[in-house]
Amino acid sequence: MGRIRRAVLLVLLLLGLSGCGIAIPQDPEGTLEKVTGGTLRVGVSENAEWVQLPPTGDPHGIEPALVEEFADTLDATIEWVPGAEHELADDLFHGELDMAIGGFGADTPWTKEAGITRPYTETTDERGKTVKHVMLVPLGENAFLLELDQFLLAQEVTL
Amino acid sequence: MSNLREKGTARFGHTELPEKQQQALRKAVKWEWITLGFLTVSTVLVYLVLGNSQAMKAAWIEDLLSFLPPISFLVATRVIRRRPSETHPYGYHRAVGVAHLVSAVALVVMGGYLIVDSGIGLVTAEHPTIGGIQLFGSTFWLGWLMVLAMLLTAGPPVVLGIVKMKLARTLHDKVLYADADMNKADWMTALAAAVGVLGIGLGLWWADSVAALLISFSILHDGVKNLRGAIGGLTDTRATVYDDSKPDPIGTQIDSYLQSLSWVKEARSRVRDEGHVFHIESFVVPRQWRRATLHKIEKARAACVDIDWKVQDMVIVPVAELPEEFLPGLTKSGGERS
Repeated sequence: MGRIRRAVLLVLLLLGLSGCGIAIPQDPEGTLEKVTGGTLRVGVSENAEWVQLPPTGDPHGIEPALVEEFADTLDATIEWVPGAEHELADDLFHGELDMAIGGFGADTPWTKEAGITRPYTETTDERGKTVKHVMLVPLGENAFLLELDQFLLAQEVTL
Repeated sequence: MSNLREKGTARFGHTELPEKQQQALRKAVKWEWITLGFLTVSTVLVYLVLGNSQAMKAAWIEDLLSFLPPISFLVATRVIRRRPSETHPYGYHRAVGVAHLVSAVALVVMGGYLIVDSGIGLVTAEHPTIGGIQLFGSTFWLGWLMVLAMLLTAGPPVVLGIVKMKLARTLHDKVLYADADMNKADWMTALAAAVGVLGIGLGLWWADSVAALLISFSILHDGVKNLRGAIGGLTDTRATVYDDSKPDPIGTQIDSYLQSLSWVKEARSRVRDEGHVFHIESFVVPRQWRRATLHKIEKARAACVDIDWKVQDMVIVPVAELPEEFLPGLTKSGGERS
């Protein structure tokens, strides 16, 4: 039983550590730290009312508006990177983007290349299927993901 | 259970259980149901917070596999109660061995699979992604829920294991023993998963895969240990005590009893474990043939059966000379064969 007590102590110690100073979760690649007060590199893929890419000027639509507001909370400037979904997923995987939007659903096939946020709103497609809308983030950048989740879940997004 | 009470006495095939074993059997059945109840709650709880953690996945699969031993035990205790029949002259005790083998194979396969799965995650440097969850109006890190679930499910199996271990000894039940043994070690799995998730929280992406690997190895280890035991039982290894630590003393007891009889010159037995009860063949060389009456042989058999409840399926074979081909190690001196 002594071993059990020691192991429980270890967990309590880790929990204690997190209480005093060390924020949990942390980003292995430090994304949240880099974008705060810096540049937020956002991949954009055109998708109906979610993301619209005009020939000139910044993207607009539901998701670019959300991202702009999110960037404000971090005091970050946005660098828009247009591309096809698979290019954006690949860029996320190689750490060349900080997030990507394009009206992605929670059943996106890009989960090997990118992490997804909690669904922040739901719509129904023309076949009556429910689509849970998410954004893509780099894999394992959990502090950044939690920051984005907290922001998105606090928004009221309706169509 | 109701079936047991109706008959008044619990039986293993044609063995009537002594009071102590009857009680132990009833308790063991009760505790296995409690185990199943706990496992149902814990697998649902862990599934709800599974997320992207490989360690959590491994712990969850271990929880799922933990259903097998209690179910095997409960099924086997029903099957072995049947009396031996024309088609099953030795009774149904081997059901225990079959149940044991099935659980062991499942453990080995899943352990092996998880080692490969977690190893790939480590080699390809998969960064587990765990985000927020919204509960009671606030959004916090899902990892905390995972750690909480693991800590909640770490304690109860240890208690279950300790209780069932005692019953396994009384009942001479190796499936129950294997189950209790796994339960007792279960807290380590839960803790490894919790540490893995906290590791992710600290930005150490590899902590999760390493924890998952540790859990997978422990599953494989359990599997191999049980596989050995189960195959040993099914291939008629000599009978050992409930935890396989030493040969069961019953063989020696029977030999020395038979040797003490005045009409017996030499006696040696071979003993195999049918599941709970033993199957014993005792070869006896009488001093003079005319003194080895049927009456004396029958009396000796009855006395042997009285030595222990596990002795029931026993035959005494009068022979002119101890048959070496049936009693390997005969030439060694002393009453105990090694």
